[in-house]
Amino acid sequence: MTVLFNKFKENFFAVGPIVLIVLILHFTISPISTPLLVKFIIGSVFVVLGLSIFLMGIDIGITPLGHLIGQALAKSNKLLLVIVAGLVLGFFVSIAEPGLLVLANQVDEVTSGTISSVVILVVVSVGLAVMVALGFIRIFYNVPLYKILFVLYLLIFGIAIFTSPEFLAVAFDASGATTGILAVPFILSLSVGISALKKDSKASEKDSFGLVAIASTGAILSVMLLNIISNTTEFSVGLGSAESEATSVFGAFLAIAPGTLTEGILALLPLLVAFLVLQLLWFKLDKKASKKILKGFLYAFLGLILFFLGVNAGFMEVGIILGRQLASMESSVFVIVVGFVIGFVTIAAEPAVYVLTYQIEDVTSRYVRRKSVLIALTIGVGLAVALSVVRILVPAIQLWHYLLPGYIIAIALSFIVPKLFVGIAFDAGGVATGPMTATFILAYTQGVADTFEGASLLVDGFGMISMVALFPIITLEILGLLYKVKSRKSEVDIKCQ
Amino acid sequence: MSMIPDIKRFELICVIVNYGLGSKVLKIAKQEGISGGTVLLGKGTVKNRLLEILEINDIRKEVVLLVTDCALVDAALKSLDREVQFRKPYHGIAFTIPVGAFLGNGDYNYKSHFIDGGKKENMYQSLFIIVDKGKGEDVMSAATSAGARGGTIINARGSGIHETSKLFNMEIEPEKELVMILAENALIDSIVSEVSTAMEIDKPGNGILFLLNVNKIMGLR
Repeated sequence: MTVLFNKFKENFFAVGPIVLIVLILHFTISPISTPLLVKFIIGSVFVVLGLSIFLMGIDIGITPLGHLIGQALAKSNKLLLVIVAGLVLGFFVSIAEPGLLVLANQVDEVTSGTISSVVILVVVSVGLAVMVALGFIRIFYNVPLYKILFVLYLLIFGIAIFTSPEFLAVAFDASGATTGILAVPFILSLSVGISALKKDSKASEKDSFGLVAIASTGAILSVMLLNIISNTTEFSVGLGSAESEATSVFGAFLAIAPGTLTEGILALLPLLVAFLVLQLLWFKLDKKASKKILKGFLYAFLGLILFFLGVNAGFMEVGIILGRQLASMESSVFVIVVGFVIGFVTIAAEPAVYVLTYQIEDVTSRYVRRKSVLIALTIGVGLAVALSVVRILVPAIQLWHYLLPGYIIAIALSFIVPKLFVGIAFDAGGVATGPMTATFILAYTQGVADTFEGASLLVDGFGMISMVALFPIITLEILGLLYKVKSRKSEVDIKCQ
Repeated sequence: MSMIPDIKRFELICVIVNYGLGSKVLKIAKQEGISGGTVLLGKGTVKNRLLEILEINDIRKEVVLLVTDCALVDAALKSLDREVQFRKPYHGIAFTIPVGAFLGNGDYNYKSHFIDGGKKENMYQSLFIIVDKGKGEDVMSAATSAGARGGTIINARGSGIHETSKLFNMEIEPEKELVMILAENALIDSIVSEVSTAMEIDKPGNGILFLLNVNKIMGLR
């Protein structure tokens, strides 16, 4: 039974700090109404349960499927097949991503229907699909990741000059939204599966990471191109308040249950279909192995629903309330410090983070430890949230004032950091922006933007996700530098001479 | 160190513990005077009806390989037991295997007659070479040029006495590759000498090499 217990324990310690912080704030500077607090605590229990079950499902269902497909593609040795598979898988994984749907609806609303949500869904998914295919080609032709990223980000910043500032934020947020709860584990395991067959073990290790990073640039590029082509310049600030006024505790959970259910089904369906089709035509796994993967899908589905219920019903409102209350305080120190702390503790509960950190340990035989990656990630996200809050409070600071130097640092570092860490770092950028960030942290910053005079919800509320995607890249590259310096062989003089 | 003692005997200590404990085992071993070790990631299963139905009976394990002087084995196992508590269920297992020959710690010479041992039935030896990540292929090509038929490369991490560095109070154990080659007795000497010159195993920090006796063998033609 200890095995089962350990799985829950690990997630309990990931979510625990968030609850602790909210409770401390509740009893000190920012009291929350009792029903809300009860909802939050029930929500966090749901999150712990949901995370544990979902991650079990990832372990025995989604990750093995990604490895199988990756290896099958690599063995087939046909470039055309690889490209087509990249396009198809990328498109369907992206279009089913719950986070992207939310973003697409927001864009629809903000542009008053000029760009409909369907258009943005399709455009972003196509962008992502093209980039997944490109990422596959990169692995096959051994093109170094940092060169590809250099070119891609150069392109992004070139196009960014012609993009309106509102859309810039949306574009970078889209990259975070597509690399969400299911896409990341699947894309990660795909690239590990493909690279595992390389003869050169060093290259195989490096190439295990980086596909998420390349894929997420596809979303940025496609949204920016969409803006230029459609030439949208008028925006209405009409973001509805995300706060529900349901007073009964269970009513809140029941109210969002149907939506969550469809989200869960939509997200898992493409992968399930892919598995069933490939199982019939290609893998032909024995009954036991295929049953195990199907059970994995079931776990992933159940876990996903519990997790979303907990996050949406319990966490969002608390985030908004905290942001509002702290922003209305006289001293702005608190709202910034709490921003840092929230970013710091929340990221450990992000499902994809768990998947990435274990994947790193697997690929490097635990040379790179989960713990060190987590430390770098939490510091990065904490800084990102704190700086986002500063940006809301100081109207003179614009998003690109952070993003441009940030990405220049990230790209410059990628030339000197060990190449394994370049892949890990840029992947972590996409991984950090999962459902936890998109709900709890986003709600906090939007609460701040909503209350603080002179802050525009559209320009300042968006863009936080792009910060969360950027800062872990830099902190993880710094971690890579530390590893590089530290793991040089010490020239110990040999005693036996 | 003018007098090199007659051949030392070596043993391989193999410890299987729960995920995350590998580095601790390595640390204790080093405190007991063992010069270094290698950790491999593994998977174990639990016998439990419910967990089997749920398909979550796979658990992560770490396998630690330590090659050491026979004289150190008992003390090392004792202090490992104190920390890991092998007696209790689910706390891991440890066992030792006698090592035929050991190379790569700077001061030990390879003595081929030691491994033959005069017994006829031991027609094969298994050769283990542990080198830095990425060098496994070099080992393989050196070994095949000396007549080896093939081999298996396993990812691992580990550290010897020449690699001790810390990051935030956490030991860094560099990545390694463990190469396992099965070969006939007649070929072993030339494979060992080919590999050890190619990899410069005799120089410290370049890896280690050891031999285990093989009793029966199947699938090798």
